[in-house]
Amino acid sequence: MSGFFGFDTALPERGAQGGAQQFQGFQSNHVDDAFALGGNGGAGEEEDLAVYTWGEGGMGGGGLMEGNDDMNDETFGADLGEISNNFQFSSQPINNAPTQKYGQSTGTGKIASTQSRYKPKPVADPFAFSEDDFYSSRPSTKKTTSTKAPSRPKPSTAQSGSTDHLWNKPAVSSPAWGTAPSSMTKPTPPPSAPYPSQSSNQAPPAPGHIKSLEEIEAEMAQMAMPFTSAAPPSQQQVLSLEEIERQMMEQMEPPRQGTPQQPVPPREATPTQVPGLAGSGYASQQASLDSMFPELGKGALSGGNQSTPGVLPGQLEGQNQQPQPTQQGQQVPRPSPEELARMEQLHKRITSKIESMSKYNNLMGSSDKDFITRIQLSQLATADPYTSDFYAQVFSALKRSRIIAESGQNENDQQTVVQVGAGLGLGVGGPVGNRFGKMGQNTMTKLSTQVKKLVENRAQHQKVTNTAALQGALGRVTRGNAAAPRPVLAIPTSNKPENRPASQLNHQTGVHRAALTKKQVMFALEELYDAILELEQMRRDAPPPTAMEEIEIWHAKCQAKVDIIWRRLMVMEPLDISNPHPFISLVNPVKGQKLFPRLLRHLPHTQSITLLSLLIATYTQLDVVSRAPPPPVADSSLLTKADRLDRAKRENETDNFLQFIIPGVDMIINRCGLGLVAGMLAISAQRSEVWKVASTRPGVALYTALLSKAQSIIRSPVPDPMNPQQNQSVDPAELEQWSKTFTYFLHVLLPHLPELFPSSVAQKAAFGPGAYLLGGDSISEKDGLEMERREAEVWGFVAVLAVNAAEEDQTNLVGALREKILHTVQSARHPTISPQRAELKLRNVNMFLNGLGLDASMIE
Amino acid sequence: MDDATSSGISEPLDLVKLSLGERVFIKLRGDRTITGVLHAYDAHMNVVLSQVEETIHIVDVTEDGNPLPPAVDRRNLEMLFVRGDGVILISPTQQ
Repeated sequence: MSGFFGFDTALPERGAQGGAQQFQGFQSNHVDDAFALGGNGGAGEEEDLAVYTWGEGGMGGGGLMEGNDDMNDETFGADLGEISNNFQFSSQPINNAPTQKYGQSTGTGKIASTQSRYKPKPVADPFAFSEDDFYSSRPSTKKTTSTKAPSRPKPSTAQSGSTDHLWNKPAVSSPAWGTAPSSMTKPTPPPSAPYPSQSSNQAPPAPGHIKSLEEIEAEMAQMAMPFTSAAPPSQQQVLSLEEIERQMMEQMEPPRQGTPQQPVPPREATPTQVPGLAGSGYASQQASLDSMFPELGKGALSGGNQSTPGVLPGQLEGQNQQPQPTQQGQQVPRPSPEELARMEQLHKRITSKIESMSKYNNLMGSSDKDFITRIQLSQLATADPYTSDFYAQVFSALKRSRIIAESGQNENDQQTVVQVGAGLGLGVGGPVGNRFGKMGQNTMTKLSTQVKKLVENRAQHQKVTNTAALQGALGRVTRGNAAAPRPVLAIPTSNKPENRPASQLNHQTGVHRAALTKKQVMFALEELYDAILELEQMRRDAPPPTAMEEIEIWHAKCQAKVDIIWRRLMVMEPLDISNPHPFISLVNPVKGQKLFPRLLRHLPHTQSITLLSLLIATYTQLDVVSRAPPPPVADSSLLTKADRLDRAKRENETDNFLQFIIPGVDMIINRCGLGLVAGMLAISAQRSEVWKVASTRPGVALYTALLSKAQSIIRSPVPDPMNPQQNQSVDPAELEQWSKTFTYFLHVLLPHLPELFPSSVAQKAAFGPGAYLLGGDSISEKDGLEMERREAEVWGFVAVLAVNAAEEDQTNLVGALREKILHTVQSARHPTISPQRAELKLRNVNMFLNGLGLDASMIE
Repeated sequence: MDDATSSGISEPLDLVKLSLGERVFIKLRGDRTITGVLHAYDAHMNVVLSQVEETIHIVDVTEDGNPLPPAVDRRNLEMLFVRGDGVILISPTQQ
């Protein structure tokens, strides 16, 4: 491709071309000379020079070219020599085309003719005819060229033969480079082709030159061209661009030839503009653009030169509109000028956008497109669109229900997922139509079938590879290989058996294991979350209530899932298998605590009772109990940073425990009968040091729940609506069991009662100046209120104790708490205390005293 | 149990999954470190964290090129999205 570079850099018009190309030309000119002189003794223009191909020019040329070849790689890229015969033109860098033409045109005849032999013919072939054409058109080109188009699509091999003749012969007036970038890619149909004579007769007018209407008319008369569509221009305006185009194509005689000298005719045989390709790529883009702005098209037609419908309105304004204002004004009732200007502006913007993109037209072959589509589809495809798009789905469901609620419309649009076959879908939220916009239903279905096929293929393939995976059972780790490549599109196949070594171990008795490691806990939690999400999804997919057998299947499936979850919870592990018990390990992290209420919802009653018993039996193993947050200190600056973080973490865990687990516990307890409640209290009293548990907030909460439930059963044995089978009257045996258990519980607890209060604990823990500070109630108001709130929990607990206690025990209770009561009431009456806190304090005390039929006001 | 644990872990990011909802330590490019509660992550290591403390290690240089003693800048953020291209490592915090 030597001629490629041989263009004359001295051309003044080329100044604007940019340094790179000039450099190119410069370089290669010299190199050509070098070839001519050196390689074959200077006579070689007709010799076979094929050995000196450009790619290896730097090396092959030997010393002769040293000086000039240094930059070749930089200039041309290293792969110049690899140009093969079958490169695809549409995907070639566009810049190549113009430069080659330059080279051919500006090089000396010698070089040019050399060149035609010089490289493999097939490479040159695609350009051969254009080369010839080029020569013929070159002079005129020079005349009009003022700027160079930044990029110029090259002629397509297949069709430019005809079109080039069409275009290049009259191209006297269609300078290859003289066009504005916009006009060159215009999909203007080839209407001007049949009029070479008139335009080639005259030197092309300067761009600024505009013919008057009279001149044009005169010209038309000369031409004696029959107006095939005799309608005056005004009637043309109703035609849309496409219609005009079609007309033109059919007749190959333009309906009108307003201004043949129109300075913007040049068009080049870009692939998209070749008539055979009309309707592809750019043309269709333009068509859709014009259909968007039909009136604009009309406006342009009426306002300006009608033979160039695709010309930018701006150009029209500049060049053509001025001489014809009257025509314009008479003909169309147009929208207001501002409106039009705005539309034109928009049109212009869109057009230029399309143009700037159009240089990439046909860059990708259909296989490329297929490839990309496959990638996109594989990312869209999912076996379970609902869960993979969960948040979007829930959000859109909420939003839609809100909209429906607001507008009171019917709920016919219930579909949340684009369903593609059973269990498969595109993971998208929102209604189908909106999501795919203009793509339309047709495309959508096509897409769907494609996805379906893709997914099916994948599933089938996986079936095969799954058996292959057994090969690895002997211990070889199989990464992806040719036989079983790592799947790109992974359809989860969850048929692996749920085997838990731990639960198998448990069949033996007396096994003691190490506690779960943190990693194991986290892993188990993730599995649980997965299972829960699946189960929740399953519940959401309930079949319609009419389909009986489907419902049964669905129930069975749900039940199986619940069983899996139950096994994963490891509740059935022996109580002493490890410390902490695996289940306790699971609810120790905040993540596990958050899971708890979601789990409970799915567990049947008996299982939740089992779970609660386990929880109570191993309550002391809970982090929130065994490592309860230490009492607050008066001055947190005494703490190290790590200490502070640790405290914050423990406080956070406790808060979360109270927020997530205790409500669940309450719920289960509320479904229990008195016997069960008594049993649970007994378990707790046996297995743990009650006062230690009760000195933590979770412990207080648990006992309060147990005791108050018991009291409510004893006092008002109304049947629980949740549990209609529960006996109306309290079983005397149960009652007796309860009072025994409770008495034991109370007696264990009684000596430690005052220590349960956070304020007491804090005071006890404080030392040095902190003790005075705490005693003096000088902790900040916020902390103080928080303290009162926590005190309230304990006061509530002792109040339930009081309510449950027999009469002599009540006396003991008051005796044990006398100090605390007096202190609290006094500090509530202290003048320095804030009224808010005083009220809280009094309310706390009254919570207890009222249970006994007393009141704080009775205390002096 | 260890077998059961590792059976579900097939790629490195599965380990990050175990830290979801937990406090993690993240080292970032530009001499920054972050600790925070991990809420979400993706294949690009984009992460969403809450209760973040960001630590920036700064070494200023005087005009004649001598480094000043390293300084540490800290700030706390409630919620933070960290773009994955800056992430060097993610680790669970100790304790």
